[in-house]
Amino acid sequence: MDDLELAYVHDGSLEGLLTAVFLAFERKEYPSDVSASCRFMPRLGQRIVEVETNMERAWRVRAGIIRVCGMETYQCVVAASLSDEPDAGSSVLSFVRYAMKRGPRARFDKAAPDVERFAEIVRSVRNEHHYWVQFMRFSKTRDGVYVAVCNPKASVVPLLMGWFSARFNTQPFIVFDEVHHVAGVSHNGEWQLVRSPDFVVPPAAVDDAFYEQAWKTFYDSVAIDARYNPELRRSFMPKRLWKNIVELSDVSLGGPGIKEERRPLPKQRNGALKGSAAGGLLDQ
Amino acid sequence: MDTTAKLALLADAAKYDVACTSSGIDRDARMGALGNATAAGICHSFSADGRCITLLKVLFTNVCVFDCAYCASRCSNDVPRTSFRPRELADLTMEFYRRNYIEGLFLSSGVLKSPDYTTERIIECLRILREEYGFRGYIHAKAVPGTSSDLLAALGLLADRISVNMELPSSESLALLCPNKTRDSIVAPMRQIREGIAEDRDTRALMRRDACYMAQRRPARKTRAFAPAGQSTQMIIGATPETDFQILNLSSSLYKTMHMKRVFFSAYLSVNEDGRLPQGNAVQLDREHRLYQADWLMRFYKFDAAELIDEGQPFLATDIDPKANWAINHLDRFPIEVNTAPYEELLRVPGIGVRGAKAIVGARRATALGEAELRKLGVAYKRARFFITCRGRYQGHGTRFDKESLHAQLAAPIQAGSHGRRSGKVLAGQMSLFDGIG
Repeated sequence: MDDLELAYVHDGSLEGLLTAVFLAFERKEYPSDVSASCRFMPRLGQRIVEVETNMERAWRVRAGIIRVCGMETYQCVVAASLSDEPDAGSSVLSFVRYAMKRGPRARFDKAAPDVERFAEIVRSVRNEHHYWVQFMRFSKTRDGVYVAVCNPKASVVPLLMGWFSARFNTQPFIVFDEVHHVAGVSHNGEWQLVRSPDFVVPPAAVDDAFYEQAWKTFYDSVAIDARYNPELRRSFMPKRLWKNIVELSDVSLGGPGIKEERRPLPKQRNGALKGSAAGGLLDQ
Repeated sequence: MDTTAKLALLADAAKYDVACTSSGIDRDARMGALGNATAAGICHSFSADGRCITLLKVLFTNVCVFDCAYCASRCSNDVPRTSFRPRELADLTMEFYRRNYIEGLFLSSGVLKSPDYTTERIIECLRILREEYGFRGYIHAKAVPGTSSDLLAALGLLADRISVNMELPSSESLALLCPNKTRDSIVAPMRQIREGIAEDRDTRALMRRDACYMAQRRPARKTRAFAPAGQSTQMIIGATPETDFQILNLSSSLYKTMHMKRVFFSAYLSVNEDGRLPQGNAVQLDREHRLYQADWLMRFYKFDAAELIDEGQPFLATDIDPKANWAINHLDRFPIEVNTAPYEELLRVPGIGVRGAKAIVGARRATALGEAELRKLGVAYKRARFFITCRGRYQGHGTRFDKESLHAQLAAPIQAGSHGRRSGKVLAGQMSLFDGIG
C-alpha cells in the first residue's frame, strides 16, 4: 500500500508533522517515509516532497483528531511526534488514517498493524518521560535559579515542563536537553521552550555542595548490605542515566564504587539531531 | 553532631522499614506553594539493593526507651544516639525536594522519653513543613504505639499516610520479643486511624451534597483531610515461627477490617545477638518474595487468601509462584478462550497480568487474537499458552495437560541477580527457625 517512491520531509516540529498528515489526506498519497528533515535518509530513487509547515492546516488536523478520537488520542500523537525513531512520522500517519475511521477506541487495538508500531513508540516516549520525572536532578545556582541538564532518548522536555513548573512554581528553573538542544525555562509556574545550541551551567550556590553531599550520604546509608542486588537496581535505573544522577555520578565515572559497577559507560549519543520540539502547539 | 552525620546515622537506623511509597493521593500543585503528589507515586532513586527511594526515610531520633529484640536501636544496645531538631529536618526535606531528589518525607522514630513526647516532636516538624513552608509534597508518618488519641488526630491532619507497625504476626511473639508493646497498643491506633479516615470521608460527602435551597456555606479554604492516603503496616517475616498461612490470613483480615492500603513484609535480618531470635546470616528473601506475590494476588487479582494457601500446606511453595500453583491445582477451569473470556478469568491465567488482561480486552474488539497478537500485547506467552485457546485452538501443544507436567513447565527459580546474598540461594531451612526459639 505504501508508496516506496515517495517521502514527506517536514521541519521536525509537531506542526510540521501534522501538516504532512494533512497533505497526505489531501493528495490521497501514501508516502512510505514521513520524516524530520534533520533525520531524513533518502532511499534510492525516492521522490521527496518538502512539506512546508502551515499552522492553520496543523490546527485543522489537531481539531479533527480531537473531534473524532478524543483528547487522549491526540496526546498520544503529540508524544509520538517527539520520538527520535526514524519511522515515528510514518507510524503517526498510518495510525491517524486508522483512527479517523475507528474513533476513540482505536489506540487500544494494539494488535492491528497500523496501531502496533505507533503504540510502541508512544510507550517508549512516555517511558522516557517518566525516567526524567524520576531522575532529573536540579542544582541551585548562585542567583537562585535551579538548573538541570538531561540527555533523553526522545525530545521529552515539552512533556516535562508542565509537570515541573506546576510542582516547582515557587522557584525559577531551567531544564536543558543537551541531545535535542532545547531548554525549558520556568518562572512563577509559567514556562517556555527555547531553542538553544549550547548551555553553560552557571556557578553553583554556596550551600549546594552541602545538600548534594547530604543526599549522597543518605543514599549510601539507606541500602541494606544483605540485600545487595545491583541487577535489580540497573533494571529500574539504567546506567545510561547515571551520569546525571547526583548520587551515582561518581560511581559511573569510575570513582569509588563497587567493583562490579565499573564498566565502560554506554556510548553517548552525540548531539547531532536537531530538536523536534519548540513549536506553537507544544507551548503552554 | 552536624546534619550530615546525623543523617547518616538516622537513615541507617530507618533502613529496615520497608515501606517507601508515595502513593495513594492526588494533590494538585497550588500557586505559591511548593510541591504536589500523584496517586501512583514516583520513585526518585534506587539503592544498591534495588529498593526504591521515593521519600527521605529517616528516624526523627534513634534514642529509644523500648527494648524490642530485633531492633538495632533498642535501649540495651550501645550505639551512638542522636536526634534531629524539627526545623533542621524540615529544611533538609525542602532542599532535597527542590532538587527533585524525593517525593517527600517518611518520618519514623525511636521513642524519646515517652510515645507522646516523641509524637509531639514529629508533629512540630510536620507543622513547620505544612504550615510555615506550605509544603504540598507527600508525608508518611509513623504512629508510635502508645500515643494518645489527641496527638494521633493531630498527626493525621498533617500526614498523608500513617502507619502503625504490626512488627510480629501474633501477640505471643510480640510478648516474647517486644516487652514494651502489646497487641492493643498497636491495634488501638490502627482502629483510630481507620475511623478518622471514615469520618473524614463522610463529612466531605455531606458537605458536597446540596440538600437545601439556602446558600451553601463552605469553608473558604479546604481543610486538610485526615490521612488521605490511608494507612499501612509492616510485619517481620522469619523472626518468629508463624506460618505463611497465618501471615496471609492476618494481612487479608487487615485489608478487610482496617482498610489497610498496604501490608509490607520484611525478611528478618539478624542485627542483634539475642537468644530469643534465630541467629546466623540466612535471610528469607525468597519467602518474602512469595508472600508479596500472594499479597499482589489478593490486592489486584481478586484472589482470596483461602484460595492461595490452606492449613494443610501452611507455607507457600518456593519453586513455583502462587498464581501458577493455584492454576495447576484448578485445571478444571482451563483452558479458556482469550477472545471471549471475561476480564476476571483472564486475570487468573499465569503469564497474563493486569496490564496484559486489559490490553487483551481492548485489542480483541478489533482483531481476533492469536499467538502473534498476544506476544505483541506484552503477555508472557510461554507461560500463558498452557491455559488458553486462541480462536478455539489449544496453545499448549507438546505438554500433557496434567498437574505434574505443567508444574515442571512453570516452576522457575526467583530471579535474584548474580551478586547479592540471594545469588548463592542461601535458603533458610524453615525448620531451623524453631531452634532459636525453644
